[in-house]
Amino acid sequence: MDTAMEQQKLEEMLDRAVREVTRRTAGVELFKTQEPPFGDLCTVYITFKNGFQSSLTLWGNISLLARMARSALREEHLTQQDLEDFSKEYFNILCGKIAALLFQATKVPARFSVPALYQGRFEPEGHSRQFVLTYTDDQRQGVQLVHHVPDRRQEDGLAESLLINERGD
Amino acid sequence: MGKKIMVVDDSRMIALQMQNLLEDTEYEIAVYCRNGEDALAKYGEIRPDIVTMDIIMPGMDGLETAQAILEEDKDARIIMVSSLAYDDTFEEAKAIGAKGFIDKPFEKEQLLEAFAKALS
Repeated sequence: MDTAMEQQKLEEMLDRAVREVTRRTAGVELFKTQEPPFGDLCTVYITFKNGFQSSLTLWGNISLLARMARSALREEHLTQQDLEDFSKEYFNILCGKIAALLFQATKVPARFSVPALYQGRFEPEGHSRQFVLTYTDDQRQGVQLVHHVPDRRQEDGLAESLLINERGD
Repeated sequence: MGKKIMVVDDSRMIALQMQNLLEDTEYEIAVYCRNGEDALAKYGEIRPDIVTMDIIMPGMDGLETAQAILEEDKDARIIMVSSLAYDDTFEEAKAIGAKGFIDKPFEKEQLLEAFAKALS
């Protein structure tokens, strides 16, 4: 059986998670903005494996992720591997926090895939953006968190909802 | 020699963070494993005092790995370290015999408190 969560509640939940995890992981404050990040970007991406039928994508300025990694690792000189590891782990923590908040709201347990990292702005095939949250830091570098839903859900007229499969399959 | 910690996490960042936080404590990271299979292979050889175990990992996940280690050594002290901090996961971890749960991102006090509790 599918149930749904209002998009506004979901956006508020994701917003809370992004700000809290970024502050606690790397000591960086993020602020909402309308201006998407541009320049050198990378993408971190997960799909929910059970519980929820959607995916989350983070597009971010590499310089912001590098700043966060230096802070979290207490290391001035980063290798490419350090940056990749940090970006994936940061997103892993963020998605875990989101799954925990979703559980509090819906009592549906969710698991998700290991985060994948791509250079540039990756958009998953067969999915549509449901909503995008855009942030900047105090140095005008930014990230965007995108909630994607499968295209068929839009055809079903359910694009405004987060879909939950209570069977967990 | 300090208490031996085995860190199992697909992110090297977590091992580096723990190493930083555990400096000047009685704990030392004896081995770092990037996946569950590696942890299973090394557990018998290292016999750590505490295992910290991520949940979301490629291959065997942390709950499966913890269960497999506990089948080999029922006295293993395993602490789950994950951002999947909610009742369902807590219960699953407890049911398989984990000694604690640390929510990511973590701080030094959380680590030390969970380690002390697992060893008590």
